[in-house]
Amino acid sequence: MKIIVSPLSRRDLIAGATSGLIGGLVLSSVVQLRGTTTALAGLVGWESWGINLGLQLPSLILVGAAFGAIFGYHPESTAFHVSGGLLFGLLWWILGPLTLMRLWRGHLPAWSLHEASDAFPSLVGYLVYGAVMGISFYALVSVWARRYPEESSGLAVPTSPAKRVVVLGGGFGGVSAAQHMEHLLAGNREIEVTLVSQGNYLLFTPLLASVASSGLEPQHISAPLRAALVRTDVRRAEVERIDTRAQVAWIRASPSALAVALPYDHLILALGSVPAYFGLPGVKAHSCTLKTLEDATRLRDHVIALLERADAESDVNVRRGQLTFVVVGGGFAGTETIAELFDLVHSILRYYPHVQESELRFILAHSGGRILPELSPALAEYALHKLRARDIETLLDTRVMGATSAGVVLNDGRAIATHTLVWAAGNEPHPLVQKLPCEHNRVGAVVCDSTLLVKGLTNVWAVGDCAQIPDLYQGGEPCPPTAQHALRQGMKVAENVVAALKGKPAEPFRFRAIGTLVGLGHRTAVAEIRGWKFSGLLAWFIWRTVYLSKLPGLEKKLRVILDWTIDLFFPRDIALTAGLARPASSQISGVAHEANKPQENRMGDGSRGRVL
Amino acid sequence: MRRAALRKGVLLGALAGGVGGLVFGAAMSQLGILPTIASLVHARSAEIGFLVHMVIAAIVGGVFGALVWQQRIGVGETLFWGLTYGTLWWFLGPLTLLPLLLGAPLVWSVGAAQAAFPSLLGHLLYGASTALALVVLRRDRRPQTGTLYGPVLRGALAGLTASWVLHLILKTQGQTLAFMAIMSVGSHPAGRLGVLAGGLLAGVGFALLYPRPTDSIGPGLVRGMMYGFLWWVAGRLTLMPVIEGHGLAWALASVREHFSTFPGYLLFGVGMALVYRWLTMLVKLLFSDEIDVRNGEGMGTRGLRAMGRGAFAGLVGGLIFTVVMVQMGVLPIVARLIGSSSTLTGFVVHLVIADLIGASYGLLFARQSYDFGSAVGWGVSYGFLWWILGPLTLMPILLGAAPKWTTDVAAGLFPSLVGHLAYGAGLGATFHVLEARYNPWWIPHTQREAARAARRKEHVLTSAPALWALVVVIALTLPIVLTCGDQGLSSTGSSMDGGGSSDVTLSTRSTSRRQSGAVTDRDPGCGPRVGPGP
Repeated sequence: MKIIVSPLSRRDLIAGATSGLIGGLVLSSVVQLRGTTTALAGLVGWESWGINLGLQLPSLILVGAAFGAIFGYHPESTAFHVSGGLLFGLLWWILGPLTLMRLWRGHLPAWSLHEASDAFPSLVGYLVYGAVMGISFYALVSVWARRYPEESSGLAVPTSPAKRVVVLGGGFGGVSAAQHMEHLLAGNREIEVTLVSQGNYLLFTPLLASVASSGLEPQHISAPLRAALVRTDVRRAEVERIDTRAQVAWIRASPSALAVALPYDHLILALGSVPAYFGLPGVKAHSCTLKTLEDATRLRDHVIALLERADAESDVNVRRGQLTFVVVGGGFAGTETIAELFDLVHSILRYYPHVQESELRFILAHSGGRILPELSPALAEYALHKLRARDIETLLDTRVMGATSAGVVLNDGRAIATHTLVWAAGNEPHPLVQKLPCEHNRVGAVVCDSTLLVKGLTNVWAVGDCAQIPDLYQGGEPCPPTAQHALRQGMKVAENVVAALKGKPAEPFRFRAIGTLVGLGHRTAVAEIRGWKFSGLLAWFIWRTVYLSKLPGLEKKLRVILDWTIDLFFPRDIALTAGLARPASSQISGVAHEANKPQENRMGDGSRGRVL
Repeated sequence: MRRAALRKGVLLGALAGGVGGLVFGAAMSQLGILPTIASLVHARSAEIGFLVHMVIAAIVGGVFGALVWQQRIGVGETLFWGLTYGTLWWFLGPLTLLPLLLGAPLVWSVGAAQAAFPSLLGHLLYGASTALALVVLRRDRRPQTGTLYGPVLRGALAGLTASWVLHLILKTQGQTLAFMAIMSVGSHPAGRLGVLAGGLLAGVGFALLYPRPTDSIGPGLVRGMMYGFLWWVAGRLTLMPVIEGHGLAWALASVREHFSTFPGYLLFGVGMALVYRWLTMLVKLLFSDEIDVRNGEGMGTRGLRAMGRGAFAGLVGGLIFTVVMVQMGVLPIVARLIGSSSTLTGFVVHLVIADLIGASYGLLFARQSYDFGSAVGWGVSYGFLWWILGPLTLMPILLGAAPKWTTDVAAGLFPSLVGHLAYGAGLGATFHVLEARYNPWWIPHTQREAARAARRKEHVLTSAPALWALVVVIALTLPIVLTCGDQGLSSTGSSMDGGGSSDVTLSTRSTSRRQSGAVTDRDPGCGPRVGPGP
C-alpha cells in the first residue's frame, strides 16, 4: 500500500525534525559550555567532538521527526509534549547508547547494569534532549497552526467523501468484499463504502436445510450485517435500477419510500441468483424454494401443519397428497433438503398417532443420470445408496413438466399427488443483472474478466452467482456457484477496487476449490476435500466442524453448538408460529396455498422479480 | 481570554510552587543542602539559601502552572503531572543547571546522581505538594456527581484486601520483612494491624483521587503502581522514619536498605487498584442505570477479540525480549518453571508467558491507545509492572525460593528490566496496529463515533502521559542509582556531612573517565549477574 502523507503528518514530521535539531543544539551547547569528557563521551560515545556533531545531528533530526510522527500534536495540552518527549528520549536511550552504540563499536549489548551505569550520562542527556524537543515541538506547531488554521482542523467529520464504493447484495460475496475493504481502508476517511442488502443479516445458506428441519433456530445461522460491518454504511433496501452511464444505483428502502440515488465511483455486483422455473406451468405458483430464512421457516411450518391435518384427515386420497414430499433437483440443495425433510418428519412422527410410517413418501426427482453431479461418481453413488436405503424414492432422468395444486406431472406422464413441492432444480442470475448493458452468458450472468471486472462496463465489478468468472486453475472454466468461491471473490474484488482507487493494476482471481460437503441427514454426509473422499459418520463430523468454523462470529457458533447439543438429547420442536399458527381456510392443498398467504404482505421479495 | 487564563495559571502555579518549596525546604534544612543553594548567589548561610530556594521554587511552580493549565482539573490527574515534573527538575536542576551556574563542570555520572539522590526524593515531594496546592488554589473543580461514600468504602475495602493478601503471600514466603509497615514490629499482631491500617489509609486516598474512574482497568493499574511508589517515597522513606524519630531516610545508604520494600509498595498499589476497579465495575454493572453500560458489544465479542490480539502482540514483544534473554542466558532458568533445563524449552515457556501476559494486556488496555505514543506508553508501563511481578516476585516463588527484593538482585535483573521495557513497547505497538487495522475508532465516521473519539482524546488531558514518563524514569533511574557502585556512597556521605560544594568536589573527582571495570570488581551489585537465583 502506498504511504500517503497527509498535510498534518507532513507538518508534524517537519516540526519534529526541527525540534529534534533544536533539542540537539541546546544539549550540545550545554555540554560544550561546561561539559566534561565524561558527559560528552557518554552522550553519544565518540570522543572527538567533530565526528560527534557530524553523526549526531542527523540522528537527532531523525529522532525528532519520529517523535513528531508518533506522538503528534495535541493542541489541548502543553504538558503532554514534555512528558512525551521525556518518554521518547528515555526509550531512545535504551535503543541508542545501550544497544545500537554497542553494536556499532562491535560489542554485543548485554544491557547489564554495568553498561547502563556507564551510559548514565547519556541517560540524563537524552532526558533533557527529550524534554527540550517536546516543548519546542509544541511551540513550533502552535505557531504553525495559528498561521494556517484551516489545515489544523482536528476531528471534523468529512462532509462528503472523495470516493464512493457501492456494494449491491448482502450475501457471502458482498459482505466479504465490504469486510475486506474495511480492513484495507482502515484509517482512510476519503473512501466511503456503502452496502445495499434486502435483509439486514448475512445468511449462512449451507445450514439452511437444518433450519427447515427444525434442527436449528432460524436466527442462529444469520449474522447481523451492522455488527459485522463496523464502518460500512449499511442500507436495507431494494435495488431498483442501475445506471451504469451516470454511475448511479437507485435504491428504495420500502415500497412506499422514495427511490434514493446512490452515486458510485466503483460498483460491486453481488446480487446472487433467483430460482429459475424455465416457464414450466404452475411450478412457480405451487412450489417453494429454499433460499431465504423465511423459506426455511415456511417449509418447516408447512410440513408440520400438513402432519397436523393428516392426523385428522379420514380421506385416504387427501392423506396421500398430504404425506408425499417431493423435492425437484438432485444437486447440493435438493439432496440436503430431502434428507433433512425425511429426518424432520420421522423425528416428529410419534406425536401423530394416526399417521402411519408406511403412508409417508419422499421423492427426489433429478433430471440427470446421477445425483450430486458436482461430486465424484463414487460419492454420488454412496449418497444415492444411502437415500434409497431410507426408502427415499430417487427418480433419475426425470423432469417435472408442470404442477397443479394437487400435485406434479413428470415427463413420463406420471402424476404424483403432493402438497409439498420444493424447487431446487435451477437458478438464474438476479434479473437486474440480466438487464445490464454488457456481455452476458447463456443463463444471463454478467461475464467478468479474471480481475472480476465486468466486460463491457467501466468501474463495475461482479462476484458470486450473478457473475461468470473464469477459474484460472480449471483452464478458464466458469467458477462454480459456491460460498467458498464467493467469499474469495469478495476479498479479491475488495483488493482490486482499492488498487483501482489508488491507480494501481488489478490482480487476477485465483482460487483452488477446497472441497465439497453434502449433509445427508442422520449422522451421514459425503465430503470431498482436495481430492480426499469421505463418507458416513466421519464425513458428517467434518461437515459439521467445517460449517461451524465458517459460521460468522463466536456468538452464532456457540448458539449453533447449543442447538446441536440440545438436538442430541431432546425431540424437535413442533410448535407452529406465525402464518400457520391457526388452521386457515387456504390450507386446502399445495404448498403455494399453504403458505402463500403471508407472502403477499412480505416486503423486499426482489428475488422473485416482483420489483421489476 | 487564553492569555488571561495562562497568566492566572502561572500566578497560581507560582503560589503552589511556594507551598511545594516549603515542604522541600524543610527537608533540605534537615539534610543540610541549603548552603549549596546559597552559593548560587555567592553566600553560604542557610537562611539565604532558603530564600533563594523559595524563589526558585516559585519560578519552577509558575512554569508548572503554565504547563498543566489546560490539563484536566482534579487531584488524581494533577498529582502525577507534579511527580513527573518534579523528577524532570531533578535532572534539570541539581544535575544540570546547578553545576553550570556554580561554574562547575557538567558530569551527569552515576556518582553525581547518587550524590544528588536525596534531592530526587525532595523533588518528587515538591512536585506532589505543588500539584496538590495547585488543585486547591484553582478551586474550579468539576461538579461532583453523587456522593463520595461509595468510592471511599470501595477504596477502603480494596486497600484492606490488597494489604491483607500481600501480607499473606509474603508471610508464607517468610518475607514479611519486605512489606510496608513491617518496620520494627516484625510479624507481631501490632505489625499486622499496622499493615492493614496502612492499606486502609492508602485505599481511601486512592478512592479520593479517583472517585469515578473513566478509563479501563489497565491504566488504573499503572496509576495504582505509581500511587504505591508515592507512598513508598512519602510514607516509607519520609513520614515513617520521622515518626520513629530517625530523621529522614533519604540518604543513599538508607534508601538502599529500604529498597527491599519498594516492590512491595508497587505491588500493593497495583493490587489495590485492581480490587478497587473491580468493585467499581461490579457496582456499575449491578446498580447503574447508565446507558453506556448496555451500549457495548459484550464481553464475549470484545473481550475475546482483545485477548486474541493481545496474545499475538505478546508473541511479537516476546520475540524482542528473547534477544535479551539469550544475552542473559536465562532461558534454561525459565525452563525450570516446568522442570526442564534446556534452552529450547525455556524459549517455549518464555513465549507462552509472553503470550499470556499479552492476552491480559489486551483485556486490560483495549481501546486505550489512539496512536503509537500512547500505545508504547501503556506498553512499557505494563512491562515494568511485570518486571516487578515476574522476575522479582513470581519467578523465585514458582522456583521454590523466597523472593529477595534486595538491590543486589535488582542489579542482576537490570538486563531483564530493559527486556521487559522492550517487550512492553513491542506489545503495545503491535496491539495498537492490530486494533487500528480492524477499526481505527479514533477516526470519526459518524457523529456518535466522533463524540466517542473526542472523549478518548481527553486522555491526553488526564495524567496518562505523565504516568508513562514517570514509570520509565523511575524504572531506569532507581535501579541504576541505587544499586550501582559504592563510589556514590562515599560521596553521598560527604554531601551529607559537609554540605557545601559537594557537587563540585564530586564532579572534579569524576572528571577522569570512570574505570567501570574497577567499579565492578569492587561492587558485586554492579557486575553482571545471571538470573534471579534460587
